[in-house]
Amino acid sequence: MFFLSKRLKPEHVAFILLTIYPLTLNFVFGYFSMIFAFALSFFDWDILSPMKFVGLENYAKLAGELVQGFSIMLTDPRLVYLKTPFFNGLRNVLLYTLLVVPTQTLLALVLAVLANQKVRGSHFFRVAYFLPATTCPVIVSLIFIWLFMRDGFVNYFVSAVTGGFRPDWLNDPLFLLPAIAIVAIWGTSAHFSATFLAGLQALPKEVYEAARIDGANALKRFIYITIPLMKPLIVYAVVLGSIGALQMFDLAWVMAGQSGGPGGAGYTVALDIYNTAFLQLRYGYAAAKAVLLFLIVFSLNYYIQEKMKYFRVA
Amino acid sequence: MRRAPLKKRIVLLLSYLVMSVLAAIYLMPFIRSAVASFMTWSQASAFPPEWVPNPFTLENYAKLFRLSLFPRWVLNTALVSGLVVAANIVTSATAGYAFAFLRFPGKNKIFSALLALLMVPPFITLIPNYILVVKMGLIDNLFGLAFLGSASVSGIFLMRQYYLSLGRELFEAARLDGAGPLRAFVYVALPLSKPALGALAIYQFLGAWNSFLGPLVFLRSPENYTLPVGLNFAFSRSMWTEYTPIIAGSLLASLPTIILYVLLNKYMIRGVVVSAKKG
Repeated sequence: MFFLSKRLKPEHVAFILLTIYPLTLNFVFGYFSMIFAFALSFFDWDILSPMKFVGLENYAKLAGELVQGFSIMLTDPRLVYLKTPFFNGLRNVLLYTLLVVPTQTLLALVLAVLANQKVRGSHFFRVAYFLPATTCPVIVSLIFIWLFMRDGFVNYFVSAVTGGFRPDWLNDPLFLLPAIAIVAIWGTSAHFSATFLAGLQALPKEVYEAARIDGANALKRFIYITIPLMKPLIVYAVVLGSIGALQMFDLAWVMAGQSGGPGGAGYTVALDIYNTAFLQLRYGYAAAKAVLLFLIVFSLNYYIQEKMKYFRVA
Repeated sequence: MRRAPLKKRIVLLLSYLVMSVLAAIYLMPFIRSAVASFMTWSQASAFPPEWVPNPFTLENYAKLFRLSLFPRWVLNTALVSGLVVAANIVTSATAGYAFAFLRFPGKNKIFSALLALLMVPPFITLIPNYILVVKMGLIDNLFGLAFLGSASVSGIFLMRQYYLSLGRELFEAARLDGAGPLRAFVYVALPLSKPALGALAIYQFLGAWNSFLGPLVFLRSPENYTLPVGLNFAFSRSMWTEYTPIIAGSLLASLPTIILYVLLNKYMIRGVVVSAKKG
């Protein structure tokens, strides 16, 4: 082993010097914390009193809540929020992910293709499309609260299209989650369009030339060349988008409020973990919830990363 | 000049139309709130929406700065963001260089372990990190917050990718000339890394300026809040009966990131390209 040898090579010393701080910081607040969280999930703890080992009790409670939530959802959906907040959060977040991820990926792809055209003024469009991604989600949500008011800006267009129908987006349980989803799509499609744009610019030009000579029109070129070649990046955007959507926190906190808004329609798993830990001071139970969220996010990530191995980014 | 065929011109016109509609949708919240920030609340909440501020008022901005905490939040956010950017430039450049060129037993395994942390959702480590920060006495401390963000994995990854793209030959030449690893870093790698460090600085700044969960959990007293937490707090405590100052505040809070992006978007796209080239 290197540390048993009589003298350390200067290169090894340099490596240690240059990496010791970031490695220590990230390993302590990353790996140590992760192990700590797993351990904590077997305890009952409010930080002040000594930790109490409870074994699998937290997980049993969690499983109980999920089963109970499922049965309440079938009998009386309005009670889901009051009786089983974690289940409610999980349900909302899954629905939200299904709404947001496909839409934002498709929109981002369209935006990137449009912005990639070599036409006059394309630079302006690139700036316009990416701008939402640079702005803080919390601040964006504050502005959107005002835009989504009953007599607000969004409803001006909605009522023009639907002939007077003006939903009360933020106070109607039916429209709260879609409103949050719209804000998210607006921001993240902008973000992913930059990724796609970078990918588009790396695509081989010859393939397009050949297709053009063979008489394929723009739409055909998009479907038969662009989409297949961009597949790895699309998968990447879907994975990252889902991971982000499953942990959605900022938007729900601002637009729905910490308790999830009317009927808990904007409640998420992340909000529930926050509330369980920092409001109810049940750190062990919150850790168990975080472990479950981790397992969902990680297995999704791992599964898709494995699939990704068969593709290769150009 | 020969005119393009009719069909081509129609296609071009159509795509301009679609592009403009989309640009309008993506820019509208900014334009709308910029206009409304100069309106009184009664005008900004009118239905159908009005477009010309009448009377034109700066009262919304004046209200924000009369609130003693708002300037404080701006300074706090600037302080944390500045510290995070500065720290990350140092840690990412050094560690990125080390992982790119220096030999060390098990280096690749260490690097993979570091990269794997990118897959860890923040909520799993949130509670233990909170406990660690409490135990370290860094809770409600802006420097503690900056310390937590002082060495990001993605930054190290970005710099390593950039150094690898420069090629190993350069450093081998420096080594043949008798430069040690640290000298090669300072005199060869660092002067060449300006573009990547620029991209890194922009991304770290955006992340730090916009972050919410960290400040929300690790800060407690309102005078220590950063802008996102502070504005949200100001709103939820209903300090306002009118919404226009919040709009003005939101706009001011996002102004630095917007300006930065409009000025430097070339470098940001380059950053995406560098980190997208894996391996």
